[in-house]
Amino acid sequence: MNVLEAVDIHKTFQEGRERVEVLRGISLAVGRGEVVALEGRSGSGKTTFLSIAGCILSPSGGRFAIAGQAVDPANPAGLAAVRRRAIGFVFQQFNLFPALTACENVEFALNVKGRRDRSARREAEAMLDAVGLADRRDFLPRDLSGGQKQRVAIARALAGGPPLILADEPTANLDSQVGEQILGLFRSLAKRDDRGLLIVTHDPKVRAIADRVVRIEDGCIVNGG
Amino acid sequence: MVDLALKTLLHDRLRFVITVSGVAFAVTLVFVQAGLFAGILGNASVTIRNLDADLWVTPKNTANVDFANSFPESYLNRVRSVPGVARADNLIVYFMFMTLPSGARETVEVYAMEDFRRWGFPWRVLEGDLDDLKRGPYAFMDDSAVRRFGPFAVGDYREVQSTRLRIVGRTSDALSFTTTPLMFMDYGLAQRMNADLLQGRTSYTVVRLAPGSDLEAVRREIRRRLPYNDVHSRAEWVAHSERYWIDSTGIGLNMVLTVFLGILVGVVVVTQTLYTSTMEHLREYGTVKAIGGGNADIYRIIGKQALIAAVLGYAIGAVMAWGTGRLVAQAGLRMELSTTMLAVVFAGAVLLCLAAALVSFHKVARIDPAMVFRV
Ligand SMILES: Nc1ncnc2c1ncn2[C@@H]1O[C@H](COP(=O)(O)OP(=O)(O)OP(=O)(O)O)[C@@H](O)[C@H]1O
Ligand SMILES: [Mg+2]
Repeated sequence: MNVLEAVDIHKTFQEGRERVEVLRGISLAVGRGEVVALEGRSGSGKTTFLSIAGCILSPSGGRFAIAGQAVDPANPAGLAAVRRRAIGFVFQQFNLFPALTACENVEFALNVKGRRDRSARREAEAMLDAVGLADRRDFLPRDLSGGQKQRVAIARALAGGPPLILADEPTANLDSQVGEQILGLFRSLAKRDDRGLLIVTHDPKVRAIADRVVRIEDGCIVNGG
Repeated sequence: MVDLALKTLLHDRLRFVITVSGVAFAVTLVFVQAGLFAGILGNASVTIRNLDADLWVTPKNTANVDFANSFPESYLNRVRSVPGVARADNLIVYFMFMTLPSGARETVEVYAMEDFRRWGFPWRVLEGDLDDLKRGPYAFMDDSAVRRFGPFAVGDYREVQSTRLRIVGRTSDALSFTTTPLMFMDYGLAQRMNADLLQGRTSYTVVRLAPGSDLEAVRREIRRRLPYNDVHSRAEWVAHSERYWIDSTGIGLNMVLTVFLGILVGVVVVTQTLYTSTMEHLREYGTVKAIGGGNADIYRIIGKQALIAAVLGYAIGAVMAWGTGRLVAQAGLRMELSTTMLAVVFAGAVLLCLAAALVSFHKVARIDPAMVFRV
């Protein structure tokens, strides 16, 4: 079964008088345990597609399903529920909560997803162990390096076991060696639990860890979709 | 559970301090103003509240307890014979001149009765025996007189209306709105000292009801018998005397204005700091939405921060107000903080802080979670 199945996704932005058609019929599927890299020039619509797949932005047309369930973009409460249940995000900017320690950042995400008991703390600790930060649990983000921050973000995205992980340029703010380590870790954790991983990137290193590379040009998939 | 609200507050320590200070400042100001108001106004009615009478028969249209005209003392008999009256006595309240040892002339406000003890009045005797008042040209003076008249002691003599009075006792807490010091003396003595105006006349008749009797019925009957007097219940007479000073001095408006300004400053500070905090954490709130949280989750975070600021600010403000109260007490000013006032200000602080959070709620509702992808 595919964890993401997008069919003929369109997106048009209305900027004053001007209409910008950013996505013109994108169809893309990500299977369980599959790592897909989404490439394209700057401004080609990669983030836009990721936002739609992440139930954060509504498409202008097309339909898509996550973990086998069709998504209704017109229902905001339903979109939030899908995000809680099925999606983990990793951002270029990390987007950690500066007031929370590494472990609390992961635990808080679990709290938002509805896990309010002590098991959330235990799972957060286990996730941090898995990303190799067992000895940095109680550090605040400002005391972590860029690579360590992104590991925390990966732990947060994987916590709660969402079947689909969406990452937007996860290595853009990291130096190349650290980026490579992060990508390797990312892949192995996704594979371990059989999750689908869609990575948007410019970074050629991503090709090395991807099962499949998809390229967007002018709002259309030109290969691999 | 991770308490993002509290952790974020403590993380932005400076802003947290400013927010809490804003609330504390407003709370202090409100307490001090309202407390001083209640304290000063309380002086206008403290004797009424402490004299153990249910009804006050006053000259027609008397403005307040200090400024009474007089009426024939024989009316007392008509009051005493009203069914339901357990006890009635005359009470003179009269301003007299006192010559200080320095030669300066000052005013005292004299309360004169035949039997103070029966009325539990004066209510706080520091030194002396009230029964001594019947025995000659003697008087009790309230300790608050020290500020105006200088130190005095039991056994001292003071010249009042050219009569040498011996001070045989001291009281405390007996104050008047006019800040004129209070003196207590025998009814007959007061009349003799002001024979031209007080001979055979009294300022008030105070009445205690028999147990189980109907206040309104008794009052109606006294009014029928004394058509040229007013009859007030104790509560009415308190309110009447206080209202006079509120209307004539404008202290009411002064208090309302200052309280309003205090609240305004508090609300502005809290709204402002909460809002800038929200703006600075917008990306984090966007992240909360991206990981599946709704507006309600974020409202709860900001609301909780407002609540923490309110409760902490209130506590600090109350302590500062209490300290201010101690401080002004040394200057002879009384600050009165009732439990009602404590409760009302607490509720006000909480409500206003939550209202301040509403401005931030409005901003949060418009967060586009897609911002989390922007660099
Ligand atoms: N909210 C918006 N309103 C209007 N236009 C938008 C909006 N978001 C994106 N766009 C436009 O859509 C196009 C694609 O943007 P997108 O962010 O998806 O590109 P990208 O492929 O992620 O680029 P990059 O590699 O630089 O991150 C751009 O031209 C952008 O200006
Ligand atoms: Mg992008």
